Amino acid sequence: MRSLCILLAVLFIPWSFASAKYDEFEDGDDIMEYDDNDFAEFEDVSEDAITESPQRIITTEDDEEEATVELEGQDENQEDFDDADAQEGDTESEPYDDEEFEGYEEKPDASPSKSKDPITIVNVPAHLQNSWESYYMEILMVTGLLAYIMNYIIGKNKNNRLAQAWFSTHRELLESNFALVGDDGTNKEATSTGKLNQENEHIYNLWCSGRVCCEGMLIQLKFLKRQDLLNVLARMMRPACDQVQIKVTMNDEDMDTYVFAVGTRKALVRLQKEMQDLSEFCSDKPKSGAKYGLPDSLAILSEMGEVTEGMMDAKMVHFLTHYADKIESVQFSDQFSGPKLMQEDGQLTKLPETKKTLLFTFNVPGSGNTSPKDMESLLPLMSMVIYSIDKAKKFRLNREGKQKADKNRARVEENFLKLTHVQRQEAAQSRREEKKRAEKERIMNEEDPEKQRRLEEAALRREQKKMEKKQMKMKQIKVKAM
Amino acid sequence: RSVPGRGPRRYKAPPSEGSPALEDPTPDYMNLLGMGRGALAVPQLKWCAWIAVYCSFISFANSRSSEDTKQMMSSFMLSISAVVMSYLQNPQPMSPPW
Repeated sequence: MRSLCILLAVLFIPWSFASAKYDEFEDGDDIMEYDDNDFAEFEDVSEDAITESPQRIITTEDDEEEATVELEGQDENQEDFDDADAQEGDTESEPYDDEEFEGYEEKPDASPSKSKDPITIVNVPAHLQNSWESYYMEILMVTGLLAYIMNYIIGKNKNNRLAQAWFSTHRELLESNFALVGDDGTNKEATSTGKLNQENEHIYNLWCSGRVCCEGMLIQLKFLKRQDLLNVLARMMRPACDQVQIKVTMNDEDMDTYVFAVGTRKALVRLQKEMQDLSEFCSDKPKSGAKYGLPDSLAILSEMGEVTEGMMDAKMVHFLTHYADKIESVQFSDQFSGPKLMQEDGQLTKLPETKKTLLFTFNVPGSGNTSPKDMESLLPLMSMVIYSIDKAKKFRLNREGKQKADKNRARVEENFLKLTHVQRQEAAQSRREEKKRAEKERIMNEEDPEKQRRLEEAALRREQKKMEKKQMKMKQIKVKAM
Repeated sequence: RSVPGRGPRRYKAPPSEGSPALEDPTPDYMNLLGMGRGALAVPQLKWCAWIAVYCSFISFANSRSSEDTKQMMSSFMLSISAVVMSYLQNPQPMSPPW
């Protein structure tokens, strides 16, 4: 994609060269016309030319330069003729003097035409007019920029207001549950800043910590990019909503080993493809939650049935049914490592680090046209989050479940090792070859022949030792086999 | 309210939020586009210069917090200087492309 942009930018060069040349010609013409006009002015003052000029058109058309001059005189006179005829029918002496200056303005237009029809009123080249109207494209551009800046300011302020509204609504609940509300990691001591951390014009963070069971909770208010006019226009085609994303990191001892998700079907399908843990542990398609009393819009992805049974207790179902329109996805996972990493082959030698996490994604109602009042409707969802934290701590798998879970995790690890075994072998092989090559180069580069010989001998000895070791190993294996 | 045993954990900015470059390439493209147009079109084509200005504005609006402000400012200055220079050299108003 970057190459595409560079290509586009490069394509502008020949176009710009072409248009620059065109501009030069236009300038040249203008200058020429001016020169002719100076002369023409003197000629027109003498009134003798008036009667003679109609004949001159026919005779002097061959000689271009003169023709332009006379044509100009002719044009002006014709105009005066017409004006005079239209108005009075007299000959031109007095009106001619007045109208000489009117006609003069339009002289530069007449000459470039050089047409047989003397009255060709061509538009005055724009930069010769002293009017702002000719710069209408520039005015449009500047207006566009101003509109963009206005939208930036308005959008930024709206996002800010929404964020503050959310925070003021939720502050009490958070402060009653967490010791540390609001921390940006910059202070030496762990003191609550008591305010949101603005990462961006449309993303606000809040870190809460200091509660039993969980290490901490990171709340991200991901608003729409109201400050970008392009985004605003794109959203008119494709509506989207603001989102609140809550990530609770659990303590290791406070959560059992399971992977579970509930949410809209569309979201779950997407997550199953993107998320490392969901794709590995929840292989089935999202199932309907109707069995547990959930509305049709929600579906469930689970590692095993027991987990679903355990999670879907009355209160949870109540939360999910009542606020189904605001819930995008809820994910409980002990193997959470984020989205699948797109790594090049050969680099994936280690499993990504996992953390026990509860991940909630909520949609703010209003689908774009949110008002600060809508933030209040998200408060019950925060209660759901707190409830889930306690629930995750309390819920423990029974023996069967635990065995299954352990088996699953062992299976995943084995698969991973198998997959990377070949890659790891190749990596080791290439490393060995690199070493050999480096040594050979060193030997070659050694200027002193004595040293060269010695290094070569050392390398030979090392290789011989390796061969011996291998042979020993083979012998041992044979003995064992026997 | 129960007192936490270990004390509250500090906030650590997440190391890599799911490779932000892949999620939202808009600011990078816009920046590149703006600077490319500004650099290439300096005195010649007014359209290029204006679009460069727009690109740098859009890039600024979409910027992530980690974006370097120096880069933003330099693309800004480059595009504005492109516009100014193209008008100094060629004071004619812009003609629409149609």
